[in-house]
Amino acid sequence: MRRTGASRTTMPYESNAAFEARLRKRITRLILLSTAILVAVLFGFPMYFMVVSAFKAESEILATPFRWLPEEFVGIAHYEQAFDIAPIGQWYANSVFIAAIQVGASIFFGAMAGYGFAKFQFRGRRLLFALILSIMAVPFQILLIPLFVLVRQFGWQDSYAGLIVPGLLSAFGIFMMRQFAYSIPDELLDAARIDGASEFRIFMRIALPLLAPASASLAIILFLFSWNNFLWPLVVVQDPNLLTLPVGMTVFSQPYRGDPIVGPAMAVSTLATLPVALLFIFFQRYFIAGMMVSGIKG
Amino acid sequence: MRRLYHRLWGEMSVISRRQYWGLIFVLPAVLFFVVFFLYPLVTGFALSLTDFTLLRPPVWVGLDNYLDLLKDRLFLKSINVTLGYVFGSTVPTWILSLLAALLFYQKFPGREGLKLLFFSPLLPSVAVVSVIWVVLLHPSGILTHIIGPFFGKAEITWLHDLQLSPIVIVVARVWSVIPFYMLIWLAGLTAIPQEMRDAARVDGANRLQSFLSVELPLLRPTAVFVMAVSTIAAFQGFTLQFVIAPNKGGPVDVNTTLGIVIWKYGFQFFRMGDAAAVSVVLFAFIMIITGMQLRLGRSDHYSLN
Repeated sequence: MRRTGASRTTMPYESNAAFEARLRKRITRLILLSTAILVAVLFGFPMYFMVVSAFKAESEILATPFRWLPEEFVGIAHYEQAFDIAPIGQWYANSVFIAAIQVGASIFFGAMAGYGFAKFQFRGRRLLFALILSIMAVPFQILLIPLFVLVRQFGWQDSYAGLIVPGLLSAFGIFMMRQFAYSIPDELLDAARIDGASEFRIFMRIALPLLAPASASLAIILFLFSWNNFLWPLVVVQDPNLLTLPVGMTVFSQPYRGDPIVGPAMAVSTLATLPVALLFIFFQRYFIAGMMVSGIKG
Repeated sequence: MRRLYHRLWGEMSVISRRQYWGLIFVLPAVLFFVVFFLYPLVTGFALSLTDFTLLRPPVWVGLDNYLDLLKDRLFLKSINVTLGYVFGSTVPTWILSLLAALLFYQKFPGREGLKLLFFSPLLPSVAVVSVIWVVLLHPSGILTHIIGPFFGKAEITWLHDLQLSPIVIVVARVWSVIPFYMLIWLAGLTAIPQEMRDAARVDGANRLQSFLSVELPLLRPTAVFVMAVSTIAAFQGFTLQFVIAPNKGGPVDVNTTLGIVIWKYGFQFFRMGDAAAVSVVLFAFIMIITGMQLRLGRSDHYSLN
């Protein structure tokens, strides 16, 4: 069959009305685009400022008008200075260590409890799940004082146990895992039961491997909870070597021995944001989905 | 004893026996939250009825701490500061995040790239946000350079000024949370079926009319969610005021939120009873907001995948 040429080419003549509509559409797009550029630059600027200032000479950072690129590129000098001023490496390691344990434990016990709530009909299930839900409605600041008193009674003040244990499980994690666990087919579990597998083995060998990949967004959000946590580490440790990165880095908001340390402050801020930025870049979809369900930024 | 056990166990069907495994699976989590949630929640209320300095055992004082709060200058001021911060930071957040969502909902070239740049405030923690804004708000820094000329000033002490410092803290806050709420609005907008918009257009509605009469009412659950979550979060304002404001909540307490008062009473003056009483007041505020949210409509559940 021969194609007719006419339908493939654009119309040689265009009516005035069509031309006007096209023009209007273009103008609308141009206005939208320029507004969006303005808004994006306005919101993106502080992060750009942070990254670029870490490479500028101290005198240049606050210089006006703002220089988009460093005139005098200082390399990693501010990063080195930051490590000299404070035990950044130790704080970084603490934050990574705490986050790793808290995310791991929250995922494992969250999967276990979520699976229990979703797939079994035991007595008291509704009541216990209501307890989990109520935890999400109570903000942490309410618990701060009594939790501190409790942790102090345990002798956990100024210790990793004090930093880690109260955040070992996440009610939000259980809530999400329960949602995921509903989608595990019962036939799969029953087949394993017929084969004589014990319930615990079924959880470890069938449910957990199915739940873990489904929880990518959850893992990211739990990491952010832990990595950004400020109030609890602030009150529970005094020992400088036990501080976490968010709490420790606030010393950089003040001059150091009378000298401004804006460069090192921006270097530390960049380091503290780096893991989150990498998660965002590589797992953008999960990152955004996780943020939205958790309301973390609120 | 063993026979009795076997008889009871044997009488349960295999199915109902299996259900007890559910209890075993949820038990670690439940025990954890009894110790680290329920117990502190209850002792928090109990502590608020005592004088407790950590050194000696708590002394029962009844409602004295609450009665003292009514005359407590710092506490009363912090209620004002907190309400001002809540109102000042939430209302602009609602409006600006909705406008940003409407902007990025439209189609135009380069949209996805610009959206990523716009999302960048999602990344830093509040501690990082605080440190960056201390630098941006340097008396002769970049914000002074932009805004100063309008007022004929070469130096503005943003953070030490009694009027300006609460405002700039609100600005830092609004900047850091708008992309998050914009995401929520955007999800709400995307969930509206295109046919409903088309129907409005066919009926002769222009864009604004279609937005006001079709989209806005359908965004109601989203709006309730945004308003409740942002208000509850703002009531707990702490880190920005703690790090950015001079002297932790200063100057002269103009940035002393309820959270800062809890911290000061608890960990500066070691008056745990008073700090616990302030926590209970904060809890009451937040429960009121949560109650209103539940009344106005259940929040949407966004699917993770």
